[in-house]
Amino acid sequence: MLTHLRKYLPLGAFLLLSAWLLWPPAEEGQRADASAPRPDEAEYVIKFSPGWAYLPDTHPYGIGKPLQGLKKVIRAFEERFPDTRIELLTVPSVREYLVTQLGSGQAPDILNVNVENVWMDVQKGWYVPLDPFLERPNPFVVEQGDPARPGYQQWWDMFRYQAISRGKAAPDGYNYCLTFDMIETGIYYNKTLFARLGLEVPRDWEEFIAIMQKIREDRRPDGSGTVPLLVNIGAFNDWTTDLFFDQLYYDLLPGIDLLQDPTREPYLQGYLDWDELAFLRRKGFFSRQDPRYCQVWEKMSQLKQYTNENLMTDDLVREFVTGRGAMIWTVSSLSYRLQADRDLGFDWGVFYMPHFTRQTSPYASERPMCVIGGAATQLEITNSAVGDTDPALPMQERMARSERLKRVVSFLQFICLPEQNARIVNEYPGLLPNIVGVETLPILKPFEEILSRRYTTTKWIFTFDLRFSEIQQRMLELYLTDGIDLDGFLHWQEQNLDAACANMLQRKEPDMERLEKRWRELAPRRTTMRDLPTEGRQL
Amino acid sequence: MSIRLKSTVSCYAIVLPSLVLLTIFVYFPVFWAFFNSLFEFEIGAASRFVGLANYSEYLTQDPTTLLSLTNMLVLTLLAVTMRLTFPLVVARLIYALPQERWRYIYRIVFLVPIVVPGVAVQLIWAGMIYSDFGLLNELLRGLGLSHWARGWLADPQTALVSIALVGFPFVGGFEVLIYYAGFSAIPESVNEAAALDGCTGLQKFFRIDIPMVLSQLKLILILTLIAGVQGFENIFILTRGGPGFETTVPGLWMYFNAFSFQRMGYACAIGVLLFVIIFGLTLLNMKYFKSSEELQGVR
Repeated sequence: MLTHLRKYLPLGAFLLLSAWLLWPPAEEGQRADASAPRPDEAEYVIKFSPGWAYLPDTHPYGIGKPLQGLKKVIRAFEERFPDTRIELLTVPSVREYLVTQLGSGQAPDILNVNVENVWMDVQKGWYVPLDPFLERPNPFVVEQGDPARPGYQQWWDMFRYQAISRGKAAPDGYNYCLTFDMIETGIYYNKTLFARLGLEVPRDWEEFIAIMQKIREDRRPDGSGTVPLLVNIGAFNDWTTDLFFDQLYYDLLPGIDLLQDPTREPYLQGYLDWDELAFLRRKGFFSRQDPRYCQVWEKMSQLKQYTNENLMTDDLVREFVTGRGAMIWTVSSLSYRLQADRDLGFDWGVFYMPHFTRQTSPYASERPMCVIGGAATQLEITNSAVGDTDPALPMQERMARSERLKRVVSFLQFICLPEQNARIVNEYPGLLPNIVGVETLPILKPFEEILSRRYTTTKWIFTFDLRFSEIQQRMLELYLTDGIDLDGFLHWQEQNLDAACANMLQRKEPDMERLEKRWRELAPRRTTMRDLPTEGRQL
Repeated sequence: MSIRLKSTVSCYAIVLPSLVLLTIFVYFPVFWAFFNSLFEFEIGAASRFVGLANYSEYLTQDPTTLLSLTNMLVLTLLAVTMRLTFPLVVARLIYALPQERWRYIYRIVFLVPIVVPGVAVQLIWAGMIYSDFGLLNELLRGLGLSHWARGWLADPQTALVSIALVGFPFVGGFEVLIYYAGFSAIPESVNEAAALDGCTGLQKFFRIDIPMVLSQLKLILILTLIAGVQGFENIFILTRGGPGFETTVPGLWMYFNAFSFQRMGYACAIGVLLFVIIFGLTLLNMKYFKSSEELQGVR
């Protein structure tokens, strides 16, 4: 026995020592958490999935100290409401997961999902409309006793970017989303390279194409070239489609914007909703007979000539920071990464996609490119929050009866207080605050100007069902990589759009007569508009 | 109760739990899928009986059907060709080694890749070999053939072939072991008789060895056909069926319809059609591809 012990003792000691050395150190936040009420002691356990941007104890992009802001705010809320425990969860953002969780009432009480994905399911009672709460005062502001403070009259007033926040209302008119912060896209460029080639930030599309041409012609000493613009297929499918569509259709809006939603119109002038798009499709728009629609894709193909060949590349940032790309079109949070990169061998700057001119297209409005970013963290309250009521009741009644929902809403109201919001959003310069009174961090200031612009005319890939988005992205990728010509692509796109419109019309049964009547009323305005498609079609 | 009857009853009693579980978790979902394929429904919403409309839509209206079936056919044929040849040759070469010690070492060497999860293998190929600055493109650039470098999985011209070539040279583990087991089971008397008759080398390989491992070839053929028809995980990881629908297969489209588009009934219809294809291929295989034992029985 002793012989055995002696034999294995050194090995055991070695293993123990190794385990001790490799054991992860306790984070500051983890120690602080020890005093939090245990879930079984709390009356309300609110499950909150905040996404990755503010997840405590993580290092965004592997930079800086572990995040603690959200955890501190949660602790403050729990001290205020000792019967409540906020439990943070990370859930996959994939729709497959959400659908099954929401269908079974197992989803977290508060989710962070792009609200356009929520719109598809609102009729199923999976989400709680927030309007009744947003239109009332925020009680945490009221208790501070200053009627001049935003939130004293209406919770809504606390949000800085009103157009984007209110514009997140679903097509059924209700708002299911709390726009917690903002994100915007921009074109980051290598200032050092621009200076070497004598290039300036482009003011319009022609200048943009010209500088990309110059960059492409430039050869480094080793003979290799530089990719003018780094961009992936997701950006083409989402941002580029909406921006180019807005540039070419803006002048038509007085004649084709058929419905002015009383709630959203003051904030989203001229926004085309899904029923308007479906109606316009019936009138021959968005087809091979619609020259503006053809030009949206032609211009995209023109841009593709100056981008990375492989649009599915997943790490374009690497190409940019190593100097293999001169510009990268991505979201504002890249600023944080670039700022922290001490090995970056060049200066960088940001500009926004320059606008089309009449030289680019005879249909160009020549207005600045609109906003296509906007809401970043979009918080929704799910049916789990009204889990203390009878699921057979209508949602309005469940909302009125649920005590649990009140506490969930209180938590959201609490994190909108400027002092709490700043602790979370401004812990690092990743996203822009959307609460009045919370300053944007200096490095993100360039994006404030972009966000102040007019919001996009429509959001194509979020308007229809996911099948539409999936097929559009696939065929667009094929078109941009020369696997199919424009006519072939548009053939697919017409079929895709028809199927999506038919699906929407069947599910939502909109009042198309009302649209037809309005269409006739706007006929005089369209008489001055040229090259409108004329072929009508029935879906 | 007689001993024979008792024995029979106890045998059935032992098998019963497995049979019940098999029924619940295998057969019932199959019938349930067929039933659901007759409805239009999505999770959380009311369903509507549509009869065979889902089948009709998939077979006559869905623009992906022909493309995806063609892709499936090409990938399956390539997989069958590769899995019936490369591993067979390797197994025969290992079997031909004179010392058992070396045969053992080589078996281990070829077995080790089995422990690497399939997802990891796909990610390695996507990230290290096919990526823009991966092994393949860097090799081409190093050889002065940079004009051949490309996004192998993103280029419509190369995406499907690139997927088919994942796992090259296709000699990892399972198939090699199966074939090796087949070669090992060839009676020594057969080998000696062949040697006495002067049947050696390639002649022996084609005339003696292959006929003696037909059972193994049949097994691998059936498994490869089934995997080829119903498998889509590797494509999902590598290309998600793109660019366009250049690498989409019916199984992947079924998955998207079920869980992304929430068209559960439609997805069930695709699943049922895949089941019919697999069932048909298996029947053909069993009827026309005889194993060595069956051939001996015929003679």
